[in-house]
Amino acid sequence: MKSERKLHSFDSGITLECGDILKSFDLMVDTYGNLNSDKSNAILVCHAFSGSHHAAGNSSEDRKPGWWDELIGPKKAIDTDKFFVVSPNNLGSCFGSTGPTTVSPDTNEVYGKDFPDVTVLDWVNSQKMLQDKLGITSWAAVMGGSIGGMQALQWAITFPDNVKRSAVIAAAAKASSQNIALNEVSRESIRKDIDFCGGDYLKKNTFPKSGVKAARMLAHITYLSEENMNKRFGRKFQKNESKVGEFVDYEVENYLQYKGTKFSEFFDANTYIIMSKAMDGFDPAEKYNDELKEALKNIKAKLLIVGFKSDWLFPPDRGKEIQLAAMQSGINSSYLELDGQQGHDSFLFSNERYQNSLEAFLDN
Amino acid sequence: MINPITNIIKNWIEPSSHVIDFGCGDGSLLKELRDQNNILGYGIEIDPEGIAGCLKNNIPVIEKNIDEGIDEFSECNFDVAIMASSIQCLKEPNVSLKKILTLSNRCIVTIPNLGYWRCRIALMLGRMPVTPSLPSSWYGTKNIHLCTIKDFEDLCRDEDFIIEDSIHLNKNRKPSKFSLIFPNLLSSEGVYLLARR
Repeated sequence: MKSERKLHSFDSGITLECGDILKSFDLMVDTYGNLNSDKSNAILVCHAFSGSHHAAGNSSEDRKPGWWDELIGPKKAIDTDKFFVVSPNNLGSCFGSTGPTTVSPDTNEVYGKDFPDVTVLDWVNSQKMLQDKLGITSWAAVMGGSIGGMQALQWAITFPDNVKRSAVIAAAAKASSQNIALNEVSRESIRKDIDFCGGDYLKKNTFPKSGVKAARMLAHITYLSEENMNKRFGRKFQKNESKVGEFVDYEVENYLQYKGTKFSEFFDANTYIIMSKAMDGFDPAEKYNDELKEALKNIKAKLLIVGFKSDWLFPPDRGKEIQLAAMQSGINSSYLELDGQQGHDSFLFSNERYQNSLEAFLDN
Repeated sequence: MINPITNIIKNWIEPSSHVIDFGCGDGSLLKELRDQNNILGYGIEIDPEGIAGCLKNNIPVIEKNIDEGIDEFSECNFDVAIMASSIQCLKEPNVSLKKILTLSNRCIVTIPNLGYWRCRIALMLGRMPVTPSLPSSWYGTKNIHLCTIKDFEDLCRDEDFIIEDSIHLNKNRKPSKFSLIFPNLLSSEGVYLLARR
C-alpha cells in the first residue's frame, strides 16, 4: 500500500464558526493508495476524539498501526487498491495540525488556552480547503466513526455537490445530555489538575497529566460495553508483579490505569477540551428549528448509517434517527445495526458483515 | 426474466412514487420498480443476507424488525407500501397491516393461499404442504400466520380495507383466469391492492 504523510499549509487562513480567524493553518495529512486520473476515487476518512491522521498501516512515529487499520488497506473494506484514502488530523488536535500546542504567528508563543473553539463545521470547512488543494471535485465517500461520523454527516449537509457517499458510523445527529455530562466530568478532572494552570501549562513548562489520565479513564469506559468488560476482565485480580500500583486490586483497574497513563503521555490537555466541546456542540438541526429532516433535505450524497448493538455512548437508535430524518426528506439512505461486541469502539474493528456492507456501499 | 408478481405490482404503482417495501429481501423488487418506473423506494429487512443484497443492488435499506412497530414511518409520506410474501411472518399481521395503511395510501399484499387444492391434498394425506408459494419445510418456515384467500378477504372486510384490485396466481405463480373460478381452491397465491377507506 502506497502511503504518504504531508503537512499542508493554508496561508489564506480560515474564519471559524466562533468568529475567530486563524490567519494561516496547517493540516497534517496521510494518504493511502493512488489517486486516479480523473480524481474520482478519493475517500476522506475523519478521525474521532483522540485519533489522528495515522489511520492505516504502520508508521515510524507510532507504536501501533493506524486507528482504522482493520478497515483500510488492500482488499479491506476501504480497499486501497481501488481508492485513494485521505486522512487529515483535525484542526485543534495535537498531532501536527494547527492546534493549542502550535506556535501562534500573532504572539510567537504556543496558542495554549487561547486556541479558539473549533466545531465539526470548522473541521469540515478546513477539509474542504484540503479537497480543493488536492484538486478533488467530489469525494467518492466521506466516512468516519463517532465524531468522525458527525463530520461525514456535516460534509453531506454543507457541501452536497462535493461528496457522493457519506458513511456515518457509531455517531449521532447531536450529543445527548448524557454525552455532554460525561464529557464535562472529563473536562473537570483536567481543569482541576493543579498543573493545568488555567490552560497555560505549556508556557509554565508543566502538564496536567493526572487530569488527562482521569479524563481518559472515564472516557475509555464509555467506549466499551459492559458485556465486553465482563468477558475481558470479569472480577479477575491483578497479579502482583504486573500491578501499576499497590492500590490496584482488579485487572480492570490496572488496565484503565495503564491506558490512562499512556494516553496522558501523548495527548494534549487543551486539545482534549477542544475536541470534547466540538462533540458537545454538534447539532446541525439547531439552525432549522431542531428539525433534522430540514437540515438534511439538500443532501445529494447517498447515506449509510451504521449503529452497533453494544454501543451505549451513541446507541443504534441515535443513528436510526438520522436515517429516518433523511428518509423523511427523500434522501437515499440506509441504516444497519451491527453486532459488534466492543461497545462504541466496535466501529474500529472489522468483521465480515461490516466489511461486506461497506464494500457494497462503496461499490455502487 | 421479470418475476410475474413484479409485473403485476409494477402496473399498480405510478412512476416516481415513494414506495416502502416491508420485508424487501435483497431489494430486487424495488430495483425493478426503480429501473422501470423510476420510483424512490426504501426496503425494510431483518435478514442480514437480504440487507447485504440491498446494498449490492443499491437499494436504500433499513435494518428493522417490523414486529417492533412501524410508527416512526408515519411522517415519511409513502404513496405505496408493499408486503410481498411477508405478512404471514409477522406476529400481529392484522395490526401491522392496519398501521401500514395509515402511513401509506395504498398497500400491496401478496399472500400464499393455504386453501389451494395442493395444500388441501397434502393436509388430507397428513402432510404439511410444500408448494412453490410455500417452499419451506414445517421446521424451516418463517410463516406463523398462514391463511386462505377467503380468510384474508374476510380480514379486509372486517378491518374496512378496500380491495381496489386483486390477482390470483397458479402454481407457477403466474396470473391465471382458471384460478379466478374458485380462487380459494385454485390459486396458489393472491396479490392484493388495498386502500384505506
